Amino acid sequence: MYKLFLTLRYLRKRRIAYFAIAAVMLCTAMVLIVMSVMGGFLDQLKWKARGLLGDIIVDNQSYSGFPFYEEFIGDISKWPEIVKATPVLYAYGLLRFQGTPQTNTVRVVGLRLQDIYQVNAFKISLFYERYYPGTTTLAEQQQPLLGFDLNAPPIDWRDEQNEVMGQGPRALLPPAYQKALERSWAAGIVDTESPDTEWTTTCRAAKLPPIVGVYQVVPGVGPPEMTGDPGPGLIIGRDILAKRLPDGRYQRFWYCPRGCLVTVTLLPATESGTLDTPVKPLFRYADDSRTGIYEIDSQHVYCDFNLLQKFLHMDPAERVDPETEKVIGVVPARCSQIQIKIKEGADPYQLTPRLEQHYRSFLADPRFRDQLTMGEVQAIDHITALTWEQSQMHIIAPVEKERQLVTILFGIISLVAAVLVLCILYMIVLQKTRDIGIIKAIGGSSAGVALIFVTYGAACGIVGSAIGTVLGYFFVTHINGIQDWLTAINPAWQVWDRSVYSFDTIPSTVRTGDMVGVIIAAIVISTVGSLAAAWRAGRMQPVEALRYE
Amino acid sequence: MSSPLLVADAVHKTYAMGRVQLHVLRGCSLRVERGEFVAIMGKSGSGKSTLLHILGALDVPEQGQVVFDGLPIFAPPRQRHFYAHALDVLSGYERRRIGFRRRAFGFVFQFYHLLPELNVLENVLVARMVGTSTFAWPAQRGVARRDTLAILQHVGLGDRLKHRPAELSGGERQRVAIARALVHKPQILFADEPTGNLDAAAGAELMALLKGLHAEGQTIVMVTHDPSIAAQADRILRLDDGVLRHA
Repeated sequence: MYKLFLTLRYLRKRRIAYFAIAAVMLCTAMVLIVMSVMGGFLDQLKWKARGLLGDIIVDNQSYSGFPFYEEFIGDISKWPEIVKATPVLYAYGLLRFQGTPQTNTVRVVGLRLQDIYQVNAFKISLFYERYYPGTTTLAEQQQPLLGFDLNAPPIDWRDEQNEVMGQGPRALLPPAYQKALERSWAAGIVDTESPDTEWTTTCRAAKLPPIVGVYQVVPGVGPPEMTGDPGPGLIIGRDILAKRLPDGRYQRFWYCPRGCLVTVTLLPATESGTLDTPVKPLFRYADDSRTGIYEIDSQHVYCDFNLLQKFLHMDPAERVDPETEKVIGVVPARCSQIQIKIKEGADPYQLTPRLEQHYRSFLADPRFRDQLTMGEVQAIDHITALTWEQSQMHIIAPVEKERQLVTILFGIISLVAAVLVLCILYMIVLQKTRDIGIIKAIGGSSAGVALIFVTYGAACGIVGSAIGTVLGYFFVTHINGIQDWLTAINPAWQVWDRSVYSFDTIPSTVRTGDMVGVIIAAIVISTVGSLAAAWRAGRMQPVEALRYE
Repeated sequence: MSSPLLVADAVHKTYAMGRVQLHVLRGCSLRVERGEFVAIMGKSGSGKSTLLHILGALDVPEQGQVVFDGLPIFAPPRQRHFYAHALDVLSGYERRRIGFRRRAFGFVFQFYHLLPELNVLENVLVARMVGTSTFAWPAQRGVARRDTLAILQHVGLGDRLKHRPAELSGGERQRVAIARALVHKPQILFADEPTGNLDAAAGAELMALLKGLHAEGQTIVMVTHDPSIAAQADRILRLDDGVLRHA
């Protein structure tokens, strides 16, 4: 009983122990914060990376793609585990906004928009589709021009401080767009992704839906209209046409109004993999997408699957004998990837080998067997089916490793706490040498005396890790508020620059397992730190301890 | 005739003072009967305290043996050097010595040696806690507290229970030390210069207390350099040149 009694008493009375507790507390909080933020970062990354993918991705890692995807999709759509499958094309190109010097190298993605909405979260990444539901399409379209409602009474124009600057006519979009905007306005969907302008202030003050996004205005003061030659729609990664502000919102470039013309120079590849003559189709900017991963949002553009297939010469074509120049069959259409949505509860890891096996079975299928070229056999042979996590391993794995590495590094740094506990307890043992002699003189055993200091170390660990966990949890759950508060005091103290990172807020995920692990580690480290002091205390001879000056 | 409570036989003890070996005890022998009050006198540095520590199982002699109530306190000399180090903790003799210190021996030191973080009550109570497991303590706490209060009343400190050692006079501290030494009702009380740090009045009070305890049957072995203090014992021994002689 004396061991527990003296441990608790020393813990209360020896204020130097507070430093050991503080060291354990800070180390616990530090490791917990690091693990939570890195864990949150990883979770966010996974979630964002998941956004543009199906549950399973069938791919052959070839620019030339692979054939018979429609037949494959037709077959697997009958499987009970499959909800939806859709083909996707990938190509590289050069994007240029007409009339501007802006040119970007891009990865062009061909997709079937309505199908992809059912397979992954692409729809929620779209900007205009959110505020103008149903208006985003990859089909042929003209440019909507913002006009004015000349029949409605004028409204007060206000500056950003809500001061009236004058009066003007009410802005109006072409009917399909205006109605869509009013629907979302009525549903309470408000643009929080763009910075406020005089326009939005004026509209809000007049209780009118603010025009969201950037539109070209009709020449003069006239009604809204659709203008220009129809062109296929193109969805553009948001970081290509907008600047991310420090507060995380996006300032769209004024020269990229919705529906403007853009050119995409594409490099088609033949079936055998050689590059063909570049094509330079015109598109109209239909919408922009933000997945949250900068590498995607700054490099990807999306167009209609069939159109891209045609531009890349991957659509069905006549197969001609090069010697006789006679048509000897059909070159099947090709795609780069098939994205598959599976039913809730279905195991993707069980499905992937089945999908691969099914595709390979096409090699022996009487429907295709006789018309396959060597290139097509190879293309099918190289097909793999991966879960979304496996396919994104190149993005996720480095962050996972980084998380482990940072946790290990901070864990090693936390050993400082063990050293500090050792030093402090050793100092206490030296200070308490005579007390140790007294305890032994009244019958305390060596093991009992040693146990006082081991218990003392463990108690420092328990108290320190408990306070550290509370502190760390509080910090992690309020990390964005703390950062905002620091930034308000001094903008230079902003650690999480939203213009740099893909996420609006500092991500964090507190896992119970991590928390328990950190607490146990802190207690163990603290206890281990006390062993040297305990050993010394236990080995002291009572007479030597009593004589200690 | 009853057997002696404590017997020391040819006890030797040497200290290393740098390169010099100081042979402090050169074959001390002693018998203490039950209920006896023995005083050991000697000059400063003669080895009185060393002998008392050996008798009280706080120190280990190189040679010789101490038998308490028929049981040897130390291992046979051949094993002693071996036991005195790492394995000493594991030896049965170390456990026996700890057992004696817990239940049979009580110590009073010249410099009181109280635990400064604890108040008077706790300083005494802690001697009852030693040897009681954490799980058994709740059942024994009431009795232990009652005994502690009784002994503190007996030594005249019933009104100073919550005071810390730093808030007490020298005489009061020594009385706390006596209370701590007696709280587990030891068979023998070892007192090392109990009045050495006290003024004459406080020393006299303390001796009166020890004599009272002796009158109640308590066996006491006391070390002192003061003849007037030693004179109050039943028997006086003198330690000269490392050997005990009858005064």
